Amino acid sequence: MVNNIFTISNLNLEYGSFQALKQISLNIENKKVTALIGPSGCGKTSFLRCLNRMNDLISDCKVSGDVLYHEENIYGKNYNVISLRTKVGMVFQKPNPFPMSIYENIAYGPKCQGLKNKNELNRIVEMSLKKSALWEEVKDRLKNSALSLSGGQQQRLCIARAIAMEPEVILMDEPTSALDPIATLKIEQLINDLKENYAIVIVTHSMQQAARISDNTAFFLMGELVEYDETDIIFSTPSNSKTEEYITGRFG
Amino acid sequence: MTYRTQFENELEELKLSLMKMGDLVIKNIHLSLNAFMEMDVTLANKIIQDDKFVNQLEYEIEKECMHIILKEQPVAKDLRLITAVLKMITDLERIGDHAADISKLTVFMEKNSKIFILKQVYKMAQYSEEMIRIALESFVNQDQEIALKVIDTDDIVDDYFNEVKKEVANAIRQNNIDADYALYLMMVTKYLERIGDHAVNIAEWVIFSIVGHHRK
Repeated sequence: MVNNIFTISNLNLEYGSFQALKQISLNIENKKVTALIGPSGCGKTSFLRCLNRMNDLISDCKVSGDVLYHEENIYGKNYNVISLRTKVGMVFQKPNPFPMSIYENIAYGPKCQGLKNKNELNRIVEMSLKKSALWEEVKDRLKNSALSLSGGQQQRLCIARAIAMEPEVILMDEPTSALDPIATLKIEQLINDLKENYAIVIVTHSMQQAARISDNTAFFLMGELVEYDETDIIFSTPSNSKTEEYITGRFG
Repeated sequence: MTYRTQFENELEELKLSLMKMGDLVIKNIHLSLNAFMEMDVTLANKIIQDDKFVNQLEYEIEKECMHIILKEQPVAKDLRLITAVLKMITDLERIGDHAADISKLTVFMEKNSKIFILKQVYKMAQYSEEMIRIALESFVNQDQEIALKVIDTDDIVDDYFNEVKKEVANAIRQNNIDADYALYLMMVTKYLERIGDHAVNIAEWVIFSIVGHHRK
């Protein structure tokens, strides 16, 4: 049985007079990887940001429609956005560790939530770094600055930081576009491991990456959802000719 | 507008190579049957030798496909098209083998065998050759309707095969045919019947390349 963690219907998003998303309806499956693809400016990142209300921070941004998370509309009145963002974590294109130690980067979120118990913080740091496949590389230098890590390590640290909040969903906005091929493969392997416990939604410009790591793929074009299906179907027999034109590189 | 002109050119070249391989196996079938019917051992030996060119073309097309996959990482219709080519060349290579097999029978046959001409055998070869030609054309033009016609045509080849069996059995009963020749003739027609089946396989891969799944 399909287990949807997000149910989105008729989602519209406007930045001032520009409509970035038009009547988007799709479901995000739990413990699956959903890839969002499409040319620059098609709305995929805007859509991603709707899932934990990051667009709230943009003035002039207007959202309408329903984004149900566990069947509750996150745009409803009195919805607890802070709690939403702990459950729906985000990893950005460019690794953005805080200018503090590796340990503190992970412990920061739980501490902000009021956790003071040292043993519990240690447990969370170790668990998060293990789940993000970084523990073995940094366990002897947790006090070192996070900025001393390589780009790939920093990105895994950012994933660990998201995991520390014990989320259910991890949103990733082109998480490997600034990384070398080996670091990229490590993140992709990590995504594959993480989907056992989390729903992952990833924006990517790499068709091969979407084909390799995702279960479902959504193709966006000019703010519209053109096609959404199982990844294998999208990349072998897409039903919409625009999808086919885009993924085969015949799109002008 | 497309930004994949080079890729498009590579796909066109691939189609041309496939047609070239198809032309060669069609020619070999045609000549192998002529050699058998006319007991032309020299021609038969040449066809056996020439089978290596079919194998060489298979190898080259395989290499072209691998190169395109490596370089272009094709998806969707492009991936289906290249997958289909890789499968179709296997069938074409087998067809080439059958033309060589027919020629080997010609070489083995006694020179003084009494030739037993059946027009149905020629018809089988003619239809099989046509099936291959049309199947490959339907691939180049990505025309599903034509590919389906190829599949239907196989029934005609099978009908002729059954007629040949009956005719040969009658000839054996009436002592009108050499025993060895009858065996060889049946083997030749069986090869032609198999060639028809391979043409059907090719047509099925054409359909796959167009719609993305095999017909049920």
